Formats: sequence, C-alpha cells, structure tokens
Amino acid sequence: MPPATGTVVVVDAIEVRGLRKRYGGTTAADGVDLTVPAGTVVGLLGPNGVGKTTTVECVAGLRTPDSGTVRVLGLDPRRDRRAVRAVLGVQLQEAALHDMLTAGELMALHRALHRTGRDPGGLLDAVGLGAQAGIRSDRLSGGQRQRLSVALALVGAPRVVVLDELTTGLDPASRETVLDLVRGLAAGGVAVLLVSHRMDEVERLCDRAVLLDAGRVVADASPDGLVAAAGLAPRVRFRTDAVVDRSALCALPGVDAVTRTGHEVAVTGRGELLGPVGAELVRQGVVATGLRAERPTLDDAFLALTGHRAGPRAEVAA
Amino acid sequence: MSARTGLPARGWGALVAAEARMVARDTSGLVVPLLLPPLILVMVGTTAPDLPPEVLGDRSVVEVVGLPIACATVLALVGMVNVPSFVATYRRSGVLRRLGVTPAGPAPVLLAQGIVGVAQVAAGIGVAFGVAAVAFGAGIPAAPWAALGGLVLATAAFFALGAAVAALAPTANAAIAAGVVLFFGTGMLGGMFGDPRALPGPLAGIGRVLPYGATAEVLGTAWRGVAPDPGAVAGLAVTVLVGAGVAVRFFRWT
Repeated sequence: MPPATGTVVVVDAIEVRGLRKRYGGTTAADGVDLTVPAGTVVGLLGPNGVGKTTTVECVAGLRTPDSGTVRVLGLDPRRDRRAVRAVLGVQLQEAALHDMLTAGELMALHRALHRTGRDPGGLLDAVGLGAQAGIRSDRLSGGQRQRLSVALALVGAPRVVVLDELTTGLDPASRETVLDLVRGLAAGGVAVLLVSHRMDEVERLCDRAVLLDAGRVVADASPDGLVAAAGLAPRVRFRTDAVVDRSALCALPGVDAVTRTGHEVAVTGRGELLGPVGAELVRQGVVATGLRAERPTLDDAFLALTGHRAGPRAEVAA
Repeated sequence: MSARTGLPARGWGALVAAEARMVARDTSGLVVPLLLPPLILVMVGTTAPDLPPEVLGDRSVVEVVGLPIACATVLALVGMVNVPSFVATYRRSGVLRRLGVTPAGPAPVLLAQGIVGVAQVAAGIGVAFGVAAVAFGAGIPAAPWAALGGLVLATAAFFALGAAVAALAPTANAAIAAGVVLFFGTGMLGGMFGDPRALPGPLAGIGRVLPYGATAEVLGTAWRGVAPDPGAVAGLAVTVLVGAGVAVRFFRWT
C-alpha cells in the first residue's frame, strides 16, 4: 500500500516534553519543553546551574530523565541510543580529547567511527586548524581545542547538532569562523541546539531562543520576540548640567517617563524618541552630551524575564 | 531509518590503531615491560640459583624460573599498571563520556585498549623468550599447550585485577600507584626477587596462589612437563572472578 498522498509528517529534529531531572535534593530540570525543527538554530539560554547542561545531556542520551520525553528525529536517545548516536553530533562543554593524538589523527579516528561523514581535512580547514593537523591535542591552545571539539562533533555529518558553550575561549576571528560554520549547518537543513549565555551570539545566530531559569522555560520566542515579550521600552539617554523642563519632555508623543539621576537623564516610551527629544532639548536651549537611543538588548530582556543577568557572574549554586 | 547503526568495522580498526599509537607514545609504559624481563632473565641466568632437581627436573633454571617470572612481570606491568592508567585517564579527562555520544559508545575504547595491552604482553614475552633462547639456550615448554593455557589464564587474571584497579582508582596516578603496589606486593611474594621458598612458610603459601607466584608456578611446571600445583591454578581462576566482579560492580564511565 503506498502511503496516502498529501500526508506530511512533521517531526521536530529535537523534541523535549515535560523533562524533569533531580539530583539528590536539587531540581535541575523542572518540566522543560523544547523543540528544534530541522534547518534552524535554537538557543538554550540561562545562567549556569539552571538546567541547560542537564537538558542537553538528556538529549545526548548521557542521562535518563526522571520523567518527560526526549526525542531526536523521533528516536529515544536512551532506548534507541545506537540509532541516535548515528545522527546526532555533540560538542560537550569539556573538550575531552585523547591527549596523545594529533588534531588530524583525532579527526580521522572520529570520522572512522561513523558510517558516513565529512572530509576530516576539509573540516579542520573550515574551523581554521588546517595548519595544526600535526600537533598533539595537549599542545593546542584552549581556543584551538575548542574548535577541534566542534569539528569532531561535525565530522559524522550529523543531522542534529548540540553545541554546548560553542565559543568559550575563542578569539574574535575564530568566533566568526565557528559562527559561520553553524549558520552553514542550518542552511544545509541541520537542526542545531546551541547552549549559550552569550546574548550577542544568540541574537545573531538563533532563529529561536529558549530561556531557562531554575529548571523551567520562562520564554520561548525569536530573539526579537523575547525582547518584545520582556516589555522593555526603548530609551533615550543624555547627560546635561542644565535644568531640564521634564513636564515638557513627558508631554512629547510616545514618551512614558523621564527619570534623572545626577547629570544622567533617561526618557522611556514607545516608537521613535530620539528626534522629538532632540528637538525639545534644542527648544529648551539645553546643552546635552551623549544623546543616544538605546534599544533593549536580549541581555536586558533576560534580566527583565528572570530577574538576573545571563552572564557568568550571575552564577548560582547548582 | 533503515541505515545501519553502531560502530563500523573500520571504526574498530581506527580505535585499536589509536590506542596502539598512544601506547607507543607513552615511552616509559612502552619500554619497561620490554626491558625489565630480559634484565630478570640475565639476573637469573648469570647467578643461576642453586635449585634442587625436584624443582628443575631436567630443564635449566632460566626455563623453569627465569622465563616464568619474566612472563609474570610483563603481565603484571601491562595488565595492572599500564592499561588501568590509560582507562583512568580516559574517565578523568572525559574521553569515555565524549565517545559515549559517538556511534562507538564508550565500551569499545576499553576493548581496544585491552587488545593493545594483550599485544604488548605478546611483544614483551616474545622479547623475553628471544633473549632466553639466544643467550641461555632456552627451549619451548615440554607441555606447550599447558603453557599456552596457563598464559591465557594468567593474562585473564592480571587484566581482571587491572580492570578492578581501573574501576576503583579515581585518577591515573592513583591507578599507577595501586598497580605498582600490587606489582611489587605479589611479585615479592611470588619470586620476583629470588626463590620464594626462602620466605616464612605462610607468606610463601600466600605468594604461591597470588597471581604472580601462581603464574610462575603454572608456567614453570609447563616447561618441565609436570602437573601444576592445583592451588596455583585455583588462585588464578579466583583472581579472574574477583577482579572481574569488582570491575563490573564498581566501574564508572564518568
């Protein structure tokens, strides 16, 4: 019997439903829902210790969830682990390389572990390590090891990729190389789950961002959508020594509030604020410096949605 | 998804080749099991301890004592020191975890390391036998199949002990320390430093059933062509079971 025509089964490449995982008395994941469709990059964000790595380890089949389901291309990473390992490429946070093998030998080894895959030499070139192929991995720099680790995750031509803290320790040029590589993956139909606490990276790379806090998803939207969801108003800031007629500024169309802290004045509201505020300052004869519009960033959104910063300084007890 | 999964044959080859490369680059681990046995043979062969005919039969002291303890030394060094140190390093550095997310899974890397370990044992014993044959005119055992069987049993015993060390040791250094203590402990009681019958009675009895002494006994009797002490064979068999049991019970992948 041929399959009924017009039947399209859409399977998210990664599908996590109601994932719960506790270690002793600590809840690492508390009902995480997450999907990554093929051909997209989804960012998993949050400070350390909120369950990002636990979620990723369950996707990779390294841990068994206490409850909830995890599927990779419709397969259970624990029950169908052999099938999942064949289609999933994982870059773990710790590089974990055989110290005594060279970059080239490691690439060849990992390529041989897969039935299909990419050219190891070409991939080393793609992460900018072509010249380091003959160097033992324990003599590579931290950033070089990181890039090698990314290349090893991709050498089996996986259809689903999990990258945990992709660009840690990379210099700016290497970061661009690696980010380009990830963009290319998604363009080729690969599903990418990117764990990060670098908001700039997520804004540039991800089609969707999932915010985790204390083991729960607190937001799941496009990076722009997250900023909108946080309800953060655009802001105009300037510095001045002069007295400012605040009620006149408040009366401008779109302005919601004017706050002053010492010489620093902030005008918040909706829409385009910079032009009207500038014109009003000129009308008042106020000399202002550093007049600028600030769009809220994903960082601000993160702060508004979780109550703390995304960066490593927000580290909480795991 | 009809694609075949799991580790392809080429992957097995690559894993064994990678382990062999690393063992070859670990200079001290490579050289000691190749050079120490010939030194032991030279020591035994040149000092020629005065042993009674009921110990030697019609064979030479190098054949009945030297080669058996040289074989036990190779097995003890590779099985209890080298292999566990690699395995502990892999666990510590996360290599086992990393391979756990490839089609290989973590288990084949242990098997590959074991295969390379056995190859290293074969090389060490080959070198020892070559030196014994050329320098001291040693010949093959009078009971070659008993010798081979004893060697297989002894290999299983030392590798099982090594697996237990790898399971219990948190770091490579701990594994090496534990392996070296076991090496000298069983070696001392088993005749590494001279005729174990010179030891006080109970110690000599213990040494004869521990893997080092038991290996020397089983191989020595095979060279003479007489039956081994059943206690020695039982000692090796029990070591296999206990070592493997501890390893299976306590091994951690991460």
